[in-house]
Amino acid sequence: MTPPLRTIAVGYDGSEPATVAVRWAFAVAHQVGADVVIVYAVGLLSRLEGTVSPSLFDSVHALAAEVGLGPDRFRWHVADGDACSVLLRAADEPIDADLLVVGSRGQSAHAGLLLGSTSLQLAERSTVALVIVPSGRGGD
Amino acid sequence: MLVVSGRVDDAGHADPGHPESPDRLTAVMAGVDDLHLGNDLVFVAPRVATRDELLRVHQASYLDELGAFCYEGGGNIDQDTYATYRSWSLAEHAAGAGLAVVDELRRRGDGIGFVATRPPGHHALRDRAMGFCLLNNVAVTTAALTGQGERVLIVDWDVHHGNGTQSIFWNDPGVLYVSTHQWPLFPGSGGAREVGGLDALGLTVNLPLPAGATGDVVRLALDEVAAPVIDQFDPTWVLVSAGFDAHRADPLADLALSAGDFAALARSVARYAPGPGRLAFFLEGGYHLEALRHSVAATLGQVLDSEYRPEAPTSGGRGRHEVRRVNLERGVALRVALGTDPGEDFQ
Repeated sequence: MTPPLRTIAVGYDGSEPATVAVRWAFAVAHQVGADVVIVYAVGLLSRLEGTVSPSLFDSVHALAAEVGLGPDRFRWHVADGDACSVLLRAADEPIDADLLVVGSRGQSAHAGLLLGSTSLQLAERSTVALVIVPSGRGGD
Repeated sequence: MLVVSGRVDDAGHADPGHPESPDRLTAVMAGVDDLHLGNDLVFVAPRVATRDELLRVHQASYLDELGAFCYEGGGNIDQDTYATYRSWSLAEHAAGAGLAVVDELRRRGDGIGFVATRPPGHHALRDRAMGFCLLNNVAVTTAALTGQGERVLIVDWDVHHGNGTQSIFWNDPGVLYVSTHQWPLFPGSGGAREVGGLDALGLTVNLPLPAGATGDVVRLALDEVAAPVIDQFDPTWVLVSAGFDAHRADPLADLALSAGDFAALARSVARYAPGPGRLAFFLEGGYHLEALRHSVAATLGQVLDSEYRPEAPTSGGRGRHEVRRVNLERGVALRVALGTDPGEDFQ
């Protein structure tokens, strides 16, 4: 029996693959009635570059509106760490995600290497179900 | 006598605009020069860490992937961490530098070690690069020492928690890991309740401190929380993950230390070395070049009995209350792990 899907955590960093992943997560959440947590990792360099820019908030709101997902159905989780560690922790409190969603790295000279690929590292380590959304196949 | 790792040309590990740059090592060596040590300054020949030495702390598959990644030209490993074609060779040398310095300290039976290398290491996990770090330099040396029966105290005063080092030695009864760091901050680990695995319960001591904490608060945390554990552990070697990004000028964090505070910390830590030639400092972070230069000089000058004092120690910042809470939380975590009732201490 498939467990109920209540909370979907999706990694977001403003990149195109992450945007595709958020669009996919919102679409699924809309279909099954789940909530979405947008997970944003604050790395070392974020201290120099600033954390979440207002444009990222706007982009996510626009993506939610595309699929008709209300603003009460998603929230942000901004946490210190590298993307892999922060997303792995999303399976625990306070998020308690049932599903992790990330974008694929897309075209890369090093495709297939674990190194540098958050999605492949999560595939090895995640304790909850993981969806890797290929770029160019979001939500539709 | 200061025994310093011989510098390897590190210009090839660089990314335009990235704060972890070759300029850091130039600043560090300027700090060493400021001490005017003359014949009391010894450089040891660079060497790489062998694969067997690296395998004590890193997974084989990770070493293979990192090497392949570099030889294919490198790139961004994560949002913070990069590698270039030259990075693998430099990381091998950075990991081997501590081994060379320790060998020289042992041969002389005297001196203070300074492993001045980059990239830094304390965020590197067994199977993953992160936080500017590729190989865990201090861990490679620590594992070599514990493999020879030594008990190693690692004091990590970088402003960021050394999650890689903690993770590698989490369950190792031969290693006591003590970290002072700003919290919350990258990498998100380092809470007071992280106290070690079942085989090494209590041998991880995290001292998370709030933004704005000054040097007196860091020393208080070491003295009140860590000192009793260190005394009981009775180390035979002391290795310091000496990041200097807790300096108030550093752009990557918000602690409020001065160069004088690093001198005071060095004095505190040095007293745990059981004898001459058993104390070594490993460069970790520190991204404000002038602060880095002064802090390195102040640290090394203190343990070499130099009078170099570029800045006075700081006091009066936030965090004294948090130190008491850290002690309490740590005690509760230990009792929970041991299966005893934490009682009503923790509220």
